[in-house]
Amino acid sequence: MRLFRLMSIPCLLLAFIWAPQPACAQERAYFVTYDHYLEEPRNLEIALANTTGVPKNGNAVYHAPWLEIEYGFTGWWTAELYLEGVTTRDGQGFTGWRWENRFRPLRSEHRVNPVLYVEYEDINEASRIQKEIVGSGAIEFEPIAELRAVHAHELEGKLILSSAAGAWNLSENIIFEKNLSADEGVEFGYSVGVSRRIGTLASGSSCHLCAENFIVGVEAYGGLGSTEGFEAGEQRHYLAPVVGWQVTPRTTVKASAGFGLTHASDHALLRVGVSFELPGGRR
Amino acid sequence: MRRRFAFAVIALLQFLAIAGLAAQTRGQDRPWTAPDHAASKPNPLSNRPELSAGGRKIFEQRCAQCHGDDAQGTSRAPNLLSRRVQAQSDGALFWKISSGDTRAGMPSFSYLPAPVRWQLVLHLRSLATVR
Repeated sequence: MRLFRLMSIPCLLLAFIWAPQPACAQERAYFVTYDHYLEEPRNLEIALANTTGVPKNGNAVYHAPWLEIEYGFTGWWTAELYLEGVTTRDGQGFTGWRWENRFRPLRSEHRVNPVLYVEYEDINEASRIQKEIVGSGAIEFEPIAELRAVHAHELEGKLILSSAAGAWNLSENIIFEKNLSADEGVEFGYSVGVSRRIGTLASGSSCHLCAENFIVGVEAYGGLGSTEGFEAGEQRHYLAPVVGWQVTPRTTVKASAGFGLTHASDHALLRVGVSFELPGGRR
Repeated sequence: MRRRFAFAVIALLQFLAIAGLAAQTRGQDRPWTAPDHAASKPNPLSNRPELSAGGRKIFEQRCAQCHGDDAQGTSRAPNLLSRRVQAQSDGALFWKISSGDTRAGMPSFSYLPAPVRWQLVLHLRSLATVR
């Protein structure tokens, strides 16, 4: 996990540099699915997370940590930078970066709230964070050094639809991805999630273990083939219960256990993450 | 060539976003009015004033950063104790908290359960009373 420790250094530095003031995370419980809530304007969120994959057929367990730096430019635009890596018994290394933008076109809340998502990825074939799954085919298990030599420049778009009803959230994401480095057509994927806060009233005192600080839910995600072919038998699909715990007003911890539903899927994807919300200061 | 194309697309998107940001005006000066059906909703917690303490905690965590600890406003967001705000109905305040105004930088707080948002309204009313 040396890679994970290395990636945590910039995170901690930024946490100390940024002015520490009260602010509150509105972190979603999902790992893959996006809802319509953007980062608050001028707030910075730093997150460290890890995907542990338990593959089939005796392949080695892998860990794919990532660092996420998210900034709210305006009320309708949030940008995010990802740095990711991988470590297995076959090797370890940096697997690339992603630059993501989310735009919320509507001014206020509606029954269904759309968000447009555009991402550029400069990654290699060893990438295993699986923040989204598109297309078809299982993960490749060649040595990490060989996989890292194969680069991919990808452009990804998502249509995010999300609704709030009472204490519930329902989100659906439709994913389109184009590998600009290879002639693979356009790949498709999806994720859907439903979650709710456990507590529905705020207590008057500060507490860590109150029901109001917990969100539970479930998300499902997977690939839907490409313009080259649907290949239903080769698609990966997962079903993942998720839980989020707002430990302090600025810190959220979340975890999920995703279970593979098809033969191309891994047995399980276990994810854990912690995020820190850093307010942009008052004027 | 493809890589250049990708960078060009990203650069264009960034430019459009920044241009939009520059063109954005402060939304609180434009009409931002709750629809009648929302404005007419009474606060279901109005007979439970003790719950405003929870509203105060949520205000400190989520609202004070922009509206100020005393809710009297900052350069980022308006004074919530002003006559203009306090003259609005409980339902209108609830709708504004829930809905947000992304153009003015006011986030949507619909991710909070509805009773918690009503607790916020209780707290805002209690602040005005104290004042």
